Amino acid sequence: MSGAGEPGSGVLARALAARRVVVCVGAGGVGKTTVSASLALEAALKGRESLVCTIDPAKRLANALGLSALGNVEARIPDPVWSDAGLTPRAPLHAMMLDMKRTWDELIARYAPADVRERIFANRFYQALSSALAGSQEYIAMEKLWELRSSRGYPLIVLDTPPTAHALDFLDAPNRVLDFLDNDAARWLLTPALRAGKMGLKFFNLGGSFVMKQLSRLTGTETLQELANFMLAMSALNEDFRERARAVKALLRDTQTAFVLVTGAAVDRQDEAIHFHSILTANGMAPVAVVVNRVHTAPTAEDFDRARALPSPLQEKVLRTLEERATLAARDALGIAELQRQVGNTPLVQVPRFEQDVHDVRALAETARYLVGEASVSV
Amino acid sequence: MAGLLDRRLWVVTGKGGVGKSTVSAALALASARAGRRTLVCEVNTQERVSRFLGHPPVGPEVSRLEENLWAVDMRPQEAMREYALMTLRFEALYKAVFENRVIRYFLRFIPSLQELVLLGKVLWHVRETRADGQPAWDTVVLDAPATGHAISFLRVPQVLLDTVPPGPLHKEARAMRDLLVDPGLTAAVLVSLPEELPVNETLELAEALRGQVRVQPTAVVLNATSPLRFEEGELRTLAPVPGLSDAAREQHAGALRSREARARLESGVGVPVHEVPRLFSERFGRAQVEAVAGHLAALVGRWA
Ligand SMILES: Nc1ncnc2c1ncn2[C@@H]1O[C@H](COP(=O)(O)OP(=O)(O)O)[C@@H](O)[C@H]1O
Ligand SMILES: Nc1ncnc2c1ncn2[C@@H]1O[C@H](COP(=O)(O)OP(=O)(O)O)[C@@H](O)[C@H]1O
Ligand SMILES: [Mg+2]
Ligand SMILES: [Mg+2]
Repeated sequence: MSGAGEPGSGVLARALAARRVVVCVGAGGVGKTTVSASLALEAALKGRESLVCTIDPAKRLANALGLSALGNVEARIPDPVWSDAGLTPRAPLHAMMLDMKRTWDELIARYAPADVRERIFANRFYQALSSALAGSQEYIAMEKLWELRSSRGYPLIVLDTPPTAHALDFLDAPNRVLDFLDNDAARWLLTPALRAGKMGLKFFNLGGSFVMKQLSRLTGTETLQELANFMLAMSALNEDFRERARAVKALLRDTQTAFVLVTGAAVDRQDEAIHFHSILTANGMAPVAVVVNRVHTAPTAEDFDRARALPSPLQEKVLRTLEERATLAARDALGIAELQRQVGNTPLVQVPRFEQDVHDVRALAETARYLVGEASVSV
Repeated sequence: MAGLLDRRLWVVTGKGGVGKSTVSAALALASARAGRRTLVCEVNTQERVSRFLGHPPVGPEVSRLEENLWAVDMRPQEAMREYALMTLRFEALYKAVFENRVIRYFLRFIPSLQELVLLGKVLWHVRETRADGQPAWDTVVLDAPATGHAISFLRVPQVLLDTVPPGPLHKEARAMRDLLVDPGLTAAVLVSLPEELPVNETLELAEALRGQVRVQPTAVVLNATSPLRFEEGELRTLAPVPGLSDAAREQHAGALRSREARARLESGVGVPVHEVPRLFSERFGRAQVEAVAGHLAALVGRWA
């Protein structure tokens, strides 16, 4: 049981008050978007202006926050949304929905010389890179974060992240992009083309290298050609772009950035969260807290007593229902105990499973009370 | 309805967390029990199927779990190596090419190459034959990965056909796509949950399967349903007792959602919907998967 006042209950409140960036990570479907939005909302309620950058939010939540996929820009939560929920924030809350493809396009548009830009946009590998490449979604989320952080001046930004199969995809993303732009490798590959001057841009010759020939047995020569052309175009991006990828990487390790790992409670799925936790920790990004979401609460002994006083067959039906709930609560308690054993000192913060989805500002505020330790799950 | 036993490749698909691995394990068990040599493939995830069946993890080698049942957890590195060795033929050559830093860097950016070799390996098992020319496997169950949209993995051959110019990779992609879309060979089972969003996603997935992968869904498994237990009058009786009333109302709401989900899936996907009730236990293991297999008997077809 993690009650208000116990260690861990205030850790998220402190992060919301002191950090500049909070990044919510975890497997898909665990409630990352919900937790991200609740945290930003809580900060605003308490007087710290904040922005939540969501990824793929449930439609109803998006509607409730007045988010639109169009624009890829931030919008302030309007006053009536708050007053309808009976809430008075002390600072503004902003929200946006990240559009991955658009963010990539904007990035290229900013850094590529005009003549190269169109070649990049038209290249099939760019289209794959910006939409499909493993890690590119993670990268672009962080890239957007960096842009918002450096150009907008929000006191607090909460970043939701894409559903990631492997913790490493997430951490590795800036490396992949940096690798992609890596001068050494690119130079090695592109030297023949660069030597060929302008002609090389169009008629890029892979040269007669042995490894290249072998590789082309696998992929076909044309594939390599097109990829090389793409890399050539990308290599025209100026040094600022590389600088930026490095900055994105640094931002994640900044002392003003906090990671929050979100997970479900059931014992069968804790291995994912434990794995995520150990990888983040090993990379100097130890989460400030693990949010255990959708924890089932057990019925009380009085509930069972009252049920036994009911007439048949209602009594059996209610008892059965209570027993099912008790089983779920016991299952979650097992999972939470296992998780706590594995994550050592990292505090766990429990959020109950609500009867309704968390789809509006009021429900987000209720979720936030558990996140910051103003309410606690009784097991 | 003939059931899955008419097909050799059973693709189990759906969003993460809906119960794909559970259903894959249960279907594989049912297939093995029907006397078929069965291989269940997990792809680049935290291995679950072997554990659900009460066996230790199998790793990237095809391993026997029990009578008629084998499992493998495919990893991109190994799959890539096997694929490269098949193409390049010599280990030394593989080393020279694949352990070259620049090449490795290059390969990472060929879109979906990793997924291609993984799916390629699954399909290789589907085509694998024994000495007498008979298929090595009567059933290959694929627990399809669910990163992002479940569809992206199955779309890989088509994406490559669209991306990669003609050449060996292109040819490979076409061969794979042809296998996947063969309705005599491949069955697609969509797993869903009785909640609004998962149902919406299943409807989208079914449409994408038909439109983008050109695979016809075979059946939907609606997992973790709740039975209709309380009558409205009973709920009113309980209303003054908050603890009991909340519990009963929540159960009832789950039952109504299950009924609604079933109706939406039946009309929206237009294939049979097989329900698996929500099971209550502290841990989820062999006994639960056996129970799930029992509920899916009609989907599998004739039992041995
Ligand atoms: N504690 C909770 N109780 C009830 N429903 C929840 C809870 N947390 C999240 N949800 C609901 O679960 C669904 C998935 O949550 P979401 O935050 O979108 O997950 P993710 O971003 O990890 O994919 C949403 O419909 C959300 O409203
Ligand atoms: N019918 C069911 N009743 C109760 N719990 C279930 C049921 N099916 C699956 N689960 C639970 O859901 C969890 C996730 O299932 P899993 O098959 O691993 O999902 P996926 O492969 O889709 O991510 C399992 O660990 C199990 O605890
Ligand atoms: Mg989300
Ligand atoms: Mg799974």
